Amino acid sequence: MECIDYQDVDIFHSGHVACAGCVEALSLRVILNIVGQDAVAVVPPSCTAVICGIYPNSALSIPAFHTSLESAAATASGVKRALLAKGKPDTTVLCLAGDGGTYDIGLQSLSSAAERNEDILYICFDNEGYMNTGGQKSSSTPEGAATGSTPLGKTTRKKNLVDIMAAHRVPYITTTSPGHILDMKAKVKKALQIKGTKIIIVLIPCLAGWGVADDAGIKAARMAVDSGIFPLYEVEDGERYTVNQLARTQSVKPYLALQKRYRHISEEQVEQLQIHTDKAWQQLLLRADQQQ
Amino acid sequence: MEPQASPLWTTRTTLDRKTGTWRDAIPDYRTLPSPCLGACPVNGHIADWIGHIRKQEYHAAWLVLMDNNPFPAIAGRICHHPCETACNRQYLDESISICALERFVGDMALAKDWSLPSSDLVKKEKVAVVGAGPAGLSAAYQLRRRGLQVTLFESQNQLGGLMRYGIPAYRLEKRVLDGEIQRILDLGVIVEHRPITTQQQLEQLQNSFDAIYLATGAARSKTLPVLDYAKPWVIDSVEFLATTNANKSHPTGQHLIVIGGGSAAMDVARTARRLGKSVTVLTLEPAGHLPAQHTEVEEALEEGIRFVSGAMLQQVNEQTDGLELTCIEVEFTAGYRKGEFTIKPKSGTAFTLKANAIVPSIGQDANYAIWGESFKAQGPILKTGSDWQTEKKGIFAGGDLASMERFVTHAVGMGKQAAAAIAHYLEGQSPTSDEKTVAAVSIDTINTYYYPQQDRIDQQKLPSRQRLQNFDEVQQPLQEVQADAEAIRCFSCGTCIYCDNCYAYCPDMAITKLEKGYAIKSDYCKGCGLCVAECPTGSIVMQKEYEEITQ
Ligand SMILES: Cc1cc2nc3c(=O)[nH]c(=O)nc-3n(C[C@H](O)[C@H](O)[C@H](O)COP(=O)(O)OP(=O)(O)OC[C@H]3O[C@@H](n4cnc5c(N)ncnc54)[C@H](O)[C@@H]3O)c2cc1C
Ligand SMILES: Cc1ncc(C[n+]2csc(CCOP(=O)(O)OP(=O)(O)O)c2C)c(N)n1
Ligand code: SF4
Ligand code: SF4
Ligand code: SF4
Ligand SMILES: [Mg+2]
Repeated sequence: MECIDYQDVDIFHSGHVACAGCVEALSLRVILNIVGQDAVAVVPPSCTAVICGIYPNSALSIPAFHTSLESAAATASGVKRALLAKGKPDTTVLCLAGDGGTYDIGLQSLSSAAERNEDILYICFDNEGYMNTGGQKSSSTPEGAATGSTPLGKTTRKKNLVDIMAAHRVPYITTTSPGHILDMKAKVKKALQIKGTKIIIVLIPCLAGWGVADDAGIKAARMAVDSGIFPLYEVEDGERYTVNQLARTQSVKPYLALQKRYRHISEEQVEQLQIHTDKAWQQLLLRADQQQ
Repeated sequence: MEPQASPLWTTRTTLDRKTGTWRDAIPDYRTLPSPCLGACPVNGHIADWIGHIRKQEYHAAWLVLMDNNPFPAIAGRICHHPCETACNRQYLDESISICALERFVGDMALAKDWSLPSSDLVKKEKVAVVGAGPAGLSAAYQLRRRGLQVTLFESQNQLGGLMRYGIPAYRLEKRVLDGEIQRILDLGVIVEHRPITTQQQLEQLQNSFDAIYLATGAARSKTLPVLDYAKPWVIDSVEFLATTNANKSHPTGQHLIVIGGGSAAMDVARTARRLGKSVTVLTLEPAGHLPAQHTEVEEALEEGIRFVSGAMLQQVNEQTDGLELTCIEVEFTAGYRKGEFTIKPKSGTAFTLKANAIVPSIGQDANYAIWGESFKAQGPILKTGSDWQTEKKGIFAGGDLASMERFVTHAVGMGKQAAAAIAHYLEGQSPTSDEKTVAAVSIDTINTYYYPQQDRIDQQKLPSRQRLQNFDEVQQPLQEVQADAEAIRCFSCGTCIYCDNCYAYCPDMAITKLEKGYAIKSDYCKGCGLCVAECPTGSIVMQKEYEEITQ
């Protein structure tokens, strides 16, 4: 079996208050350790903000700027420019935001930062809902999933943020998952080599919000990828698509069955989700093919 | 005083907060028995030695094998490998080729002439072992390694028992047998080629030895009442195999009927085929339910042996052109215990077979009456306690003589157990009570995500046409690259492979890497169980720390 080859460099600390088994904390651990010491984090309200620290303690040993929910990318733009002015061009500025703060409330600031091609690394921890506030829906919540504000299941589909940001022609946007740490490590490393706006969307199965067992976050992430619901792929300069997984190896059904948020859905809805997934997958393959 | 504004900057890390208080269970690293280990008659540490193959540490693999079994090259050829039936990998694709891997290591040891570290005679006690089949040799090996003086008494002029005189060369080359036995003798085991066949001879041994191990096997062929064994055309199967195994020819006719469906019957039939005979095997058991190993039956069919299954011999008529056997189809019902069955002839289904000679091969009984009345029987075998001690103090027994598990590796396992019991006995200790049995690692605790599907690698067989020309081995060994590739398939059930998954997947950085192994930081482990879920070998378990409160 493939070994994970990973060693902490002491940037993210134990004692943080993420839920037991939280794979967002795990993803933070991996990302921060690769980004390294010479970095500043910009954190809007979200689970990540809670994990990073409750004053006066910090889980991070790099500076973290807690900003407003609307303005992660704008704040990061400012921090980056300040660092440039101070003669520190190499310091990485890193946004650590949730999906609510990215797909919804922070979208305008992200859009304009991307349009200006600000030199920032924007990480979106996509747990498909407003989770630290008790689990309300966001525009990233997928169809069928129940949340506090869509108790019967969301009726509209998940927004495709990759397409939106690819349309901004950012140099790099990609998806990854905590079930694919080698993929995650490689993508963070790659992003660090690129100048301009880089966006990494990390699928985070939220244990409480999705209704997944404490030890099953990794499993859920892998099933999302294996079923093609959350494919691993990258888009460079808004046009070069690369799919990072060989194939889909299972239907969406076991993935849905693992989570309580889909407990209520009917066979027809499962089928509908399968059809949507198949179609999106075909489209993705087509795009990846067409460029060659 | 003016109220102070709190500083903008955090002043300390979260290490202050002991989030370990959240949990109710903590991971615990354990080395657990794999299912293959539990099924293996010698309790070999299979996960361990396959792990060594994976790292190409073949000598280390061999040493692990040799701990429980001095015959890896032999077992790797003829063991009935119940380990593979138990193997967890079958739930993903197919079980591991454990037996072929064992042969690979055993053959390498012979080819490279690896020898065992010598063991000094640290004990003054002397043990006599009667019978140098797999049970006796295994006991002698383990006793000698414990520093005791061992003398083997064997009635035949060569050692090995049925491994030499029963199992034919096309399944077990004599060179291999000789090599693995010589290694035991090189440890300094004394051999005396004389039988112990009377009560008086046994008493003499009792006078000059501190303990005795009886392992004379079961050599008396069971008889069929419908056959007249005085006739020249009734051939004893043990004798038939022994003579051909000793390269002597045996006078038989051209058409042979072998009666029986076990390993011995297959060997008789296949040996006769190699001598140019045409062979029919008659079995009580219906096709697909023969007691012989599946591959043996398959290979026998490939070699042109005809099977008449689910039928019984009723009568033999001598005719001028040979024998006419009247047979009848039967309904066969397996009994509760191994080897027991009932049969009911189906009326109106009688038929006849033609032959020149008949070789009944329906099993053998132990003969312990030779040593006097005082040994008790337990069904058809010699009675022993759970420590393999007979009714007579200081006299132990094992192998076919004292068990119905009629397999080489069972004999080896029994010899090992008896050696431990004898050592205890000589130290004046009571036999160790059975260790608390730990359940084998189940497939549910192996995270199979880490193992992509991969076909099992089997040994190649000689083409059947070529096989009938001589007594060359049918099963061809694995090549080194094949062995390495097969070893990678093993889940290493219950044995840590230091892959670091547990360390890397902890969201709380609550696992520290040690020089060899890992430690849990109980201050920070929240008890989520992710490390356990992502372990590819089932080597960590969650241990509850608090009793659940029930009302
Ligand atoms: C034809 C055949 C094929 C078989 N094939 C297989 C197989 O493929 N795989 C498998 O696992 N098992 C097989 N078996 C079964 C296996 O061989 C036996 O279960 C095993 O050999 C038993 O070991 P043992 O040490 O108890 O007895 P044995 O192997 O019978 O050894 C007993 C030894 O004691 C000696 N002896 C007997 N009486 C005396 C005496 N009075 N004094 C001194 N020495 C004495 C004998 O000469 C012999 O050397 C086969 C058996 C037969 C008959
Ligand atoms: C403008 C604004 N509206 C609402 C809030 C309250 N609020 C804080 S965090 C949060 C949810 C954020 O969701 P997401 O970005 O997905 O992060 P998650 O909690 O899921 O990690 C909300 C609604 C706020 N801080 N600011
Ligand atoms: S996978 Fe390996 S350790 Fe597990 S049962 Fe099979 S051979 Fe034994
Ligand atoms: S993954 Fe970490 S926190 Fe979870 S049980 Fe294992 S050691 Fe404890
Ligand atoms: S995850 Fe890997 S290192 Fe950890 S106990 Fe299991 S096998 Fe050993
Ligand atoms: Mg969210």
